[in-house]
Amino acid sequence: MITVKQLMDEGAERLSLSVITDPAFLNKKIPEISMNRPGLALTGFFQYFANMRLQIFGLAEFTYLKSLSDVDREKSLRAFFKHQISGIVVTRNRKVSSDIIKLAEEFRVPVLRTSMVTRNFVNECTILLEKLTAPRERIQGTAMEIMGIGVLLRGDPGIGKSETALSLIERGYSLVSDDVTEVRRTSRGRILCWANEITRYHMEIRGMGIIHVPSLFGVASIRRYTELDVVIDLKAPSGDEDRTGVLPNTTEIMGVKIPCITLPVRSGRDMANIVEVAALNQKLKELGHDAAKELDDKVINRLMKGRVAHG
Amino acid sequence: MGDEILIKEVKVENKYGLHARPAALIAQTAGKYDCEIFIEKDGNKVSCKSIIGLMTIEGYPGSLMQLSVSGSDAQEALDALVELFVNKFNED
Repeated sequence: MITVKQLMDEGAERLSLSVITDPAFLNKKIPEISMNRPGLALTGFFQYFANMRLQIFGLAEFTYLKSLSDVDREKSLRAFFKHQISGIVVTRNRKVSSDIIKLAEEFRVPVLRTSMVTRNFVNECTILLEKLTAPRERIQGTAMEIMGIGVLLRGDPGIGKSETALSLIERGYSLVSDDVTEVRRTSRGRILCWANEITRYHMEIRGMGIIHVPSLFGVASIRRYTELDVVIDLKAPSGDEDRTGVLPNTTEIMGVKIPCITLPVRSGRDMANIVEVAALNQKLKELGHDAAKELDDKVINRLMKGRVAHG
Repeated sequence: MGDEILIKEVKVENKYGLHARPAALIAQTAGKYDCEIFIEKDGNKVSCKSIIGLMTIEGYPGSLMQLSVSGSDAQEALDALVELFVNKFNED
């Protein structure tokens, strides 16, 4: 569960947030990852009050509170604060009145302020909250971006993932992460890949040791994130590989099905070249042009004509 | 022994003929053997280890073709390939 502090740490700049109350309150948790306009609650209607969400005080809330007498205002706010509020955000850089601050201190509720208007704040904050709370995993594999196509190279240790990645970098493509890749599912059902903070953009090449990719190949050789389009499994040859590419194969990462290609690794085979072509071919398939299937249809069509001609 | 060429006539008996999937199956099976394996139809002769080659010989349903195999494991290879044709490439 995320805290108001995490929201501040990640979003203070993007959401133009500042802290009004004692920073010690920031460790309050936000149990429900959403926002609520507490207008109805302030009028005294607490049925279905979403107190677990972040409470947004916008123009409507302020105008309503202003219309009340001091006594009613204190009563209304006190009833509101009694509902274990996780945090309050005041939009439009409104001055937070002393009675709100007093109650917030009393109930230890963090109050934040943003210069954004409510609508924009809610949009931006929703995106950020989703990012902060999306399930993430750490998987084995090297992530690269090849001409805008997100590729994850997998395979047993020593099969040549890093070496293949290195050749691809030399060809001008970008490294996202080597060997260990952090992934999360986006709201659009895609898998986003990035590197672990500490080892980011470093690679280990057997026999040579650790290298820092952007220092050697320049900033164009790295990318912070990529959305995964295809998984390529590098395997020792078994003889059972799919040889036409007609049979679609997928693998599941965090419940999302991703096209998966198994490439047998033999000495003398230029894996980088094959991975590059596999990535391009995958893009072509997504654009609706499946070369393997089209050739097969063409052959079948011709064979059927042959049968008619020859009885 | 290695110079001997084994020849066998086979018939395409599946519904769609020698399209990509059967071609892949033949190439994959042939690829497991060291011997040289060719298939011939109407004067066109291609290696059984090449998918693209197999798709060019126009093996329409009902057509006849000749397998010719030579090499150390020729007999096993021939048996395995004939079985594929007899089983209609596990289709239908």
